[in-house]
Amino acid sequence: MLPERVYAALEDVVGKENITASKEDLLCYSYDATNTTFMPDAVLFPATAVEVSRVVEIANTEKFGLIPRGAGTGFTGGSLAVFGGVVLSTERMKSVIEIDEENLTAVVEPGVITWEFQQDVEAVGLFYPPDPTSKKTSTIGGNIAECAGGPRAVKYGVTRDYILGLEVVLPTGEIISTGTSTMKGVVGYDLTRLMAGSEGTLGIITKATLRLIPKPEKVITMLVSFLDVAAAAAAVSDIIAARIMPSTLELIDAFSIKCIEEYDPERLKNVGALLIIEVDGISEAADKAAERVEEVCGSAGATGFETATDKHDVKNLWKARRSISPALFKLKPNKINEDVVVPRSRIMELMTGLERIGTERRLIIACFGHAGDGNIHMNIMYDRNNIDEATNADMAVKEAFELTLSLGGTISGEHGVGTTKAKYLDMELGPVEVALMQRLKSMFDPNNILNPGKIFSGSASDKKVPAPAF
Amino acid sequence: MSELESFRAEIDKCVKCGTCRSICPTTRVLGRESACARGKLTLIKAYLDGEIEMSETFMRHIKECAMCGGCRDVCPAGVKTTDVYLAARAEFVEKKGLPFLASLIFKNLDSSRLMPFALKLGTRFKGLFFKGAETDTGLVSRFSLPLVGGGRLMPEVAGTFFLDRKEVRKLGKRQKKGGDQMGSSSANIAFFAGCGVNYLMPDVGSASLKCIERTGSTVSVPKGQVCCGMPAYYTGDMETARRLAKKNIEVFESYDYDYVATSCATCSHGLKTVFKNLFKDDDEMRERAGAFAEKVRDITELLARDLGPMEAASTGSEETGSSDRPVSVTYHDPCHLNRNQGIKAEPRALLEGTDGIEFKNMKFACSCCGLGGGLSMTNYDLSIAISKRKADGALASGADVVATACPGCIVQLRDAMHRYGVDKKVVHVVELL
Repeated sequence: MLPERVYAALEDVVGKENITASKEDLLCYSYDATNTTFMPDAVLFPATAVEVSRVVEIANTEKFGLIPRGAGTGFTGGSLAVFGGVVLSTERMKSVIEIDEENLTAVVEPGVITWEFQQDVEAVGLFYPPDPTSKKTSTIGGNIAECAGGPRAVKYGVTRDYILGLEVVLPTGEIISTGTSTMKGVVGYDLTRLMAGSEGTLGIITKATLRLIPKPEKVITMLVSFLDVAAAAAAVSDIIAARIMPSTLELIDAFSIKCIEEYDPERLKNVGALLIIEVDGISEAADKAAERVEEVCGSAGATGFETATDKHDVKNLWKARRSISPALFKLKPNKINEDVVVPRSRIMELMTGLERIGTERRLIIACFGHAGDGNIHMNIMYDRNNIDEATNADMAVKEAFELTLSLGGTISGEHGVGTTKAKYLDMELGPVEVALMQRLKSMFDPNNILNPGKIFSGSASDKKVPAPAF
Repeated sequence: MSELESFRAEIDKCVKCGTCRSICPTTRVLGRESACARGKLTLIKAYLDGEIEMSETFMRHIKECAMCGGCRDVCPAGVKTTDVYLAARAEFVEKKGLPFLASLIFKNLDSSRLMPFALKLGTRFKGLFFKGAETDTGLVSRFSLPLVGGGRLMPEVAGTFFLDRKEVRKLGKRQKKGGDQMGSSSANIAFFAGCGVNYLMPDVGSASLKCIERTGSTVSVPKGQVCCGMPAYYTGDMETARRLAKKNIEVFESYDYDYVATSCATCSHGLKTVFKNLFKDDDEMRERAGAFAEKVRDITELLARDLGPMEAASTGSEETGSSDRPVSVTYHDPCHLNRNQGIKAEPRALLEGTDGIEFKNMKFACSCCGLGGGLSMTNYDLSIAISKRKADGALASGADVVATACPGCIVQLRDAMHRYGVDKKVVHVVELL
């Protein structure tokens, strides 16, 4: 419970309509896509950077945690109030301030929904590529804070590659500008990149200047089936090795296909593994690339190859693809969802390794994801109430991470660390790196008020006491 | 165990992915998590677990919903969200009773005298509260009225109700069971009017009859038919909904027909699906409702699929132009037609196949108008704010006329066009054919 004095001070900043501490409302801000629950003490809906800054000042004086939140679609608990505290929702900060067609830039507020922004820019022939699977729900602010990726990353890169500059409220209350609105800029340290992927622990993003590119003239979507996941994974490596640059190269294994069969039974029934491949660009170039993709897949042993001709087909295909993650719960009531990345030449080793771990631990490990950039979403399915399964699932995660790191990979490509991966942090980072990051955090946020309990919380090297809850 | 309790497993299917936020028209306007399915299901679960009471805040959040079914359609986990909301609404009615006005109306929906009388009385005094709008489609409230709200374009109650029209009354004559229609190639259609057509838009009813007749089919309008009961159903008053369903089924059973047609998307959904579900615990009635449901067709579906082509209209409708200067028409998908019945292509095909019409697609044609689920009654500000997207879409489409297939949507869209200053006529598809 927030002391009345604090509530009043916060209400004074954002207005009566934009603060709530009713149990009903708190419940609605207690979860995210991890499907775990932590009750906050209040939820605020500020409208401006100045309001955010004043809230941060109060948090520093009163020593309570602030948890920035976009649409709550994160997979690692970034927007959860794990120690209570006040959720800062960006739901009211949702204006596209400017789309500059001459300079190919845009200025947006953090609560803008990514897909809607993409619709706006595409209407004028421009393109904002980052497309996390949650793009129809998730916000630009959340995408930046988590450095979201998506299928198109294979060709176009991730969110951080499209941020030119930011307006950020620091954990100490100052409002700063980072970066530039120009294409280049090297004056001082790159604070913009530091903020991208900082998971709301170093600052609250209140405005972003984004880089846009021309919209590709043509997109060709192909659906290629294989006997098994190993064959599909080999084809992925072959495509990359053949110097083809698809705009999307998604792999879906048999477990995942099973869960989305109903979207298109004709195409999806009894398929061992699938690749969804897109090529784009100037019309002739896209056609040419599609031809080459077909050739390479043919030599790699594809059992079916189809080019989607109908816009509706493509939409339906992507709808099915976007539904995999939540639909996996049809297999088992609980899942551990990790997004490991390996160098692209080693995808087959990763896939066969994961299969082995699954067999040994008697677990379903459903895999799908952005194979084109080496990023695989592995989902360890289990039943929390079955102690044997739960223990095995835990062990399987650790083994999968070990496997990933041994292949030269990373334990998270786009979901972040948050709370769910915190305990594995030092598997990938050395003690010096972790200590440096923690020094950075305490320099930015001496009172540890901003998103406490994230990234470092479970780490053995973490000695920081989180901000007190009321 | 309460009815709501039986939905616990359904609620538990929600994995909180947030996909529902992307389509929810209420979330778009309110910008609050409590508006989307993920929030609503969380609250209902907390209520079932005894964590929260049946508080005003809880009930308000659940009712911040036009029951469009968008969240149900996009949910990757397949949660039947609207069923859960309905069970919650029914629980509210069971525990808290109906609001006074709603109970007054619902009690009298099946009276063939009282409702018309009350509505007629209302029209006599309408000048006190409403002024005529610049458009000829309704009345604008002079000041904020309870349940109405200020500046609202209200549909005008018809001078003569559809079912009272002379030519319609003639069609109420009972056809002899198993008469000489047997073996005839022409279909026999029984028309269900519904309140929107009967009280507010009798011309839509007459246009529907004309379209049916132009296919060479014969049509009757069964006497004694009453409200379909969907307003009560969506409010959670299952008792009233059941009573009305039973009455309607009885009335239609005494007529001979190949199809039951209606030009209201909500009615056709109700007749087709809800009637059956209302009699879960009554085998006999469920069977009768099922037999009835099989014959029910929305008018657009009936004309586009089941009946033969229409003869050319003897006189062009006033809305359609000539082939050298076609009228451009766009189409709004009623949720109860598109989402609940999968009827999307049929009305478009009818429009595209009509001479003098140039069809233009509207962006987000299937987003909700905001009227449904009782929202326009319980929370008009939210309801009309939702409709802004439709006014914007109609404007951007560049069409002269917005067609749809539901009197409810027509009422709301006309209000939206008036409110947001978009000068477009809103009509029912059948008025253009």
